[in-house]
Amino acid sequence: MESQDAREQLELVEKILATSSRALCAGGEFFLAWGVLVAAIDCLNQLVADNVMPVSSLWAVPVLILIGVAFSVWRSMQLAAKHGSMSVLQRDYLNMMFVTMGLTFVAQFAGSSFFAGWGEAAIWNFAGAIVLLFIGVHGNRRAILAGAILIVAMAIANYTPGMPGYVLGAGMLVGYAGFGATELLATE
Amino acid sequence: MDDLLLSKIRIGIIAELLASDWITFSALQQRLQTTNGNLGAHLGKLIESGYVDELKAFVDRRPQSRYRLTQRGRDAFIAHVREMQAILQGAI
Repeated sequence: MESQDAREQLELVEKILATSSRALCAGGEFFLAWGVLVAAIDCLNQLVADNVMPVSSLWAVPVLILIGVAFSVWRSMQLAAKHGSMSVLQRDYLNMMFVTMGLTFVAQFAGSSFFAGWGEAAIWNFAGAIVLLFIGVHGNRRAILAGAILIVAMAIANYTPGMPGYVLGAGMLVGYAGFGATELLATE
Repeated sequence: MDDLLLSKIRIGIIAELLASDWITFSALQQRLQTTNGNLGAHLGKLIESGYVDELKAFVDRRPQSRYRLTQRGRDAFIAHVREMQAILQGAI
């Protein structure tokens, strides 16, 4: 091979790698849906704790979670059909999200005595913040702000014993769902 | 020198797959700006050599082929790039 051919091949490779997509598609609709659903669950728990709603109204929690799961599965299938490729970064992001949320789910049930009461709700804010901060360190400033909102909401909830559910819910609504809404607006 | 990677189309395919977890035939064709037949023939050679994996699935009731770089393909690409860099350094 001549040096000219080698140069041309290297230039071609560099060009392809430089133009390959490194943008992370967070999936705004998932954040919006889950942020609203989790905020609703937090508020419902607070209303039950305050005796405003009867304990029997907690039947709505598994229904809301099932709605979230059904929406996520349906939308994921739609997106998988629409996109022609998946970048390595996107794959790593999805793996990280499934691991974080999966471990939080396991921690909530396997460690229910450690994460009892409002701790059960707070670890979801914590897991959500990890996901958002991962997106943030890949160049999304809104995600850093949203992750910070979730952490701050958790800290405030810790010092507001009368209404931790509302504070955690507000954090999910503004931080998680709010981030989802801004992502959807930005991609339009 | 890996003869298989001397083709511009084939090294282009490998470079596209390097940054992707998977990519469909149509997306690959769009990025490399080549014809169906040409891309299919080059992909066939890469699959035959174990550099690329082909995954066939049905999406919205339509057949879809997805391609993924194998570890063998990744190693071959890295070795090829190093050889090209050595050629260039030798020429300087």
